[in-house]
Amino acid sequence: MRNLVPDFPRAALTAFYWAFLFYLLLPLTLMMALSFKDANFVSFPIGNLTLDWYAKVIQDKQFLEACLYSIGIAAASTLAATIIGTWIAMLIVAEGIRWQVVIFALAVLPAVVPGMISAISLRIFISTIDMPTGTGAIILGHTVHSVPFVVVMALTRLRSMPKNMVDAARDLGADNIVAFLRVTLPYLAPALFGGMMFCVLLSIDDFVRTFFLGGYRATLPMLIFAKVQGGMSPEINAMATLVLVVTTSFGLYAEFITRRARTR
Amino acid sequence: MDPIVTFENVTKSYGTFLAVEDLNLEIERGKFVTLLGPSGCGKSTTLRMLGGFEVPNSGRIMLSGKDVTRVPPNKRNVNIVFQDYALFPHLSVARNIAFGLELKGHDKKQIHRRVSELLELVQLQEFAHRIPAELSGGQRQRVALMRALAPDPDVLLLDEPLSALDAKLRQQMQMELKSIQKTTGKTFLFVTHDQEEALTMSDQIVVMNKGKIEQMGDPTALYSQPSSTFVANFIGETNLLRSKVQSVNGDLTAVDWQGITVKAGPGALLPQPGDSINVVLRPESIKCSLSEPSTTNKAKGRIRQRVFKGNHTSLMIEVANGAVLNALVHPSDIAQIGDQDIWVGWNTDSTTLIPDKHAAE
Amino acid sequence: MVETATRSDLNTTQDREMPRYSTLIAKMANSFLYRHTLGAAVETRMGRVALLAGLPLIWIVALNLGPIYQMLKISFLSNYPVMPGDKSEFTLENYIVFFQEPIFFLPLIRSFVFATATTMVTLIVVYPVAYYVAKVVRPSGRPRALLLLLVPFWAGEIIRTFSVIMLLSNRGAINVLLRDIGLIDRPIPMLYTPFSLGFGLIYLICLYMLLPLYSAIEKIPSSLLDASADLGAGPLTRFRRIILPLSKDGIVSGCALVFLTCIGVFATLMLLGGPNTVLFPETISSFFHGASNKWPVGAAFAMIMLTTALIAAGLFVRLVGGKKGSTF
Repeated sequence: MRNLVPDFPRAALTAFYWAFLFYLLLPLTLMMALSFKDANFVSFPIGNLTLDWYAKVIQDKQFLEACLYSIGIAAASTLAATIIGTWIAMLIVAEGIRWQVVIFALAVLPAVVPGMISAISLRIFISTIDMPTGTGAIILGHTVHSVPFVVVMALTRLRSMPKNMVDAARDLGADNIVAFLRVTLPYLAPALFGGMMFCVLLSIDDFVRTFFLGGYRATLPMLIFAKVQGGMSPEINAMATLVLVVTTSFGLYAEFITRRARTR
Repeated sequence: MDPIVTFENVTKSYGTFLAVEDLNLEIERGKFVTLLGPSGCGKSTTLRMLGGFEVPNSGRIMLSGKDVTRVPPNKRNVNIVFQDYALFPHLSVARNIAFGLELKGHDKKQIHRRVSELLELVQLQEFAHRIPAELSGGQRQRVALMRALAPDPDVLLLDEPLSALDAKLRQQMQMELKSIQKTTGKTFLFVTHDQEEALTMSDQIVVMNKGKIEQMGDPTALYSQPSSTFVANFIGETNLLRSKVQSVNGDLTAVDWQGITVKAGPGALLPQPGDSINVVLRPESIKCSLSEPSTTNKAKGRIRQRVFKGNHTSLMIEVANGAVLNALVHPSDIAQIGDQDIWVGWNTDSTTLIPDKHAAE
Repeated sequence: MVETATRSDLNTTQDREMPRYSTLIAKMANSFLYRHTLGAAVETRMGRVALLAGLPLIWIVALNLGPIYQMLKISFLSNYPVMPGDKSEFTLENYIVFFQEPIFFLPLIRSFVFATATTMVTLIVVYPVAYYVAKVVRPSGRPRALLLLLVPFWAGEIIRTFSVIMLLSNRGAINVLLRDIGLIDRPIPMLYTPFSLGFGLIYLICLYMLLPLYSAIEKIPSSLLDASADLGAGPLTRFRRIILPLSKDGIVSGCALVFLTCIGVFATLMLLGGPNTVLFPETISSFFHGASNKWPVGAAFAMIMLTTALIAAGLFVRLVGGKKGSTF
């Protein structure tokens, strides 16, 4: 009987968690459900079900082009961000380098600058260096945004690395570059992999930077945004559902891989 | 003598802290040499300077006749076994061992032959494909040793490699290390703070304290003839009898040990009557008996505490002059002795004289 | 006997199977080209420092500081982009105009109100969830409990915002439900109101609060809670005296993160906001697109927003955190 009292907060917390999860998933579930609606307008009740909207979406050239464009931008910016972020992290942990705290603070600055400001300042920046808006500018913007996350993830991993490992490689005949390639990089790999997955999602999701830096070609979020502003149709639901399923499985996979790497 | 390693007037400081001060040391080829001392005595710095990870502020380090003082670690032919092994977690045992050979540009067949040979030496052939996380502590230790030996270094440096192992495994590894050193004929430079480890394995021990060499020599000489209180205290257990010299007669010195006259053997110094001096008396040299012993030195005393330790018993004996002596005796030797007055005795040749630092200063 | 035989057979097969030694990097390092370029550079202190610090410092200065510097510079110009024949002079006008017009400074105040409210609501709602996952769920179940919460996070800003419309629109789930159970006759207009915007912002951003809180609460040793319970502290006392102070770092960094993200939200604003909910990003954006193409004013406003937001977040971290804390 006495146990009833201490267990009350526990039960309440459990209920709250599930309620919160319900809240998180409800809108997305409704969105997915409406993608099967056999009618031209988005509203409840759903009524008859159909897969027509999906058929329409996967034949939509605009959509496919936007997908490829987004993937290309994500791949390029992720690759660049991984290299630069790792490099910055190596500088921050290096011995005999002063101002490490300052370097770190400046390196993660783009992660704390509000997205809108970041987009505006990049827009101004590319204009002052006479760079045109478009693919290159978007990739640059996404890379700037992604680098801090790579830095943080790489730093966390580097700080847990036994210092002697690089010394051992040096001792066995490796110069600093070879030691980095053969010892530090493999050690970093799981963290970098997680960081890269995160950067891909970051890039594919990004709207505000793309909005200010982009040209005429639409990325996925731009396309969906334009369609939503243009009017509701279950077609958008089908499109969003497809994207959601792909990015979520990608995210789950990344989570699974990094978790497995961490336990090894 | 043809030293393989020479330190000439080497000094290394970090800011105001003098880690190594004016070090002069020659290491003989093919020997097992140990740098022994408490933490912060400069032994690890010495090792890291030879490895190339620290550059001395002044002085010169010669390796196989060449000046390597400023040569980076990847360009000098010495290898280190690190305290935490520093095995590469992403590489298999075989590839860990092959690391140095791969970088030397050997071809894969050569590498494989050498790796197999080394794995056989420590009987780890079956584990060639495992990664370090799947090995026991002792196995990791062996892999680290073989990895460092693989590129055929002039000198193998070992930085307290046994400190992470439990006592039993450590003893076993001591034997193994010694035998590997014998079979390979390599020069080993071993760093430790554990005097027992040093005594067990070394051909030569270099005792360091506060950045300087305190004394060096083979284990027996160091143990029986310490030249300072520091060495006497650091190596083995010891009784230091603070005394005044009464008379000197050749090798025999008569001293006054707080009222008891003791005859002591020779030391590294020439004492004068009136000098303050310490007599080193090892606990196992003391004999206890109920009747008056025939030893050169004797005194009356009482056992104040006895601790049974299996193969010996450790005693605290209060001697008639009020001083306390530690003694190690065989348990059966004191089976009959209770709380009554007893005799303690020891022979002159089991003692040695060292200067009394406090008096000198 | 048989066993030994098979075992030694096994050994020899393992011996014959040669590990995949890698000599590629060694070949590179021993090549003439490498030894006389990178290899030589890395052996000198200057070369090492240049290799290590060159690219990172250039990147940080050019691309982390460069854009903000350029924005600051342009915010003091009378004219930008400068057309041929036009002149651009130093001016403070772009800043002064902000304080003169309510249609300029009201959106900023509104932005701060929305961001502060969102941060507070998010903290109150997410805290129990983070606590539940970090302390009530068994350690083995924690990854799964966290993962479930992260699913919407992977959906992205636009899709999450879009899904909120499914809930709130006139023919959305809530209105249809209320009508079906007979509470209302005609739909309550919820979209394009402060309510829909606030709801959307919270929905968009609450997960940024979860991870800092979770990692802070998880670090609190459970033994501490048991000990205090043993000393007679009730659940409320335990929460107030132990859990809350010890999770302060997580609260501070979570709040700062949510606040700064919320201030800069753009797409959600465009999709869920209405004429009564013009927030500052929309104001700024209008100077870069549309009719009034006046970059210097936009730049000045962006600077105002950046400094006020960073000062607000910094003050919050200082005051609540009590010590110099970073947002990470």
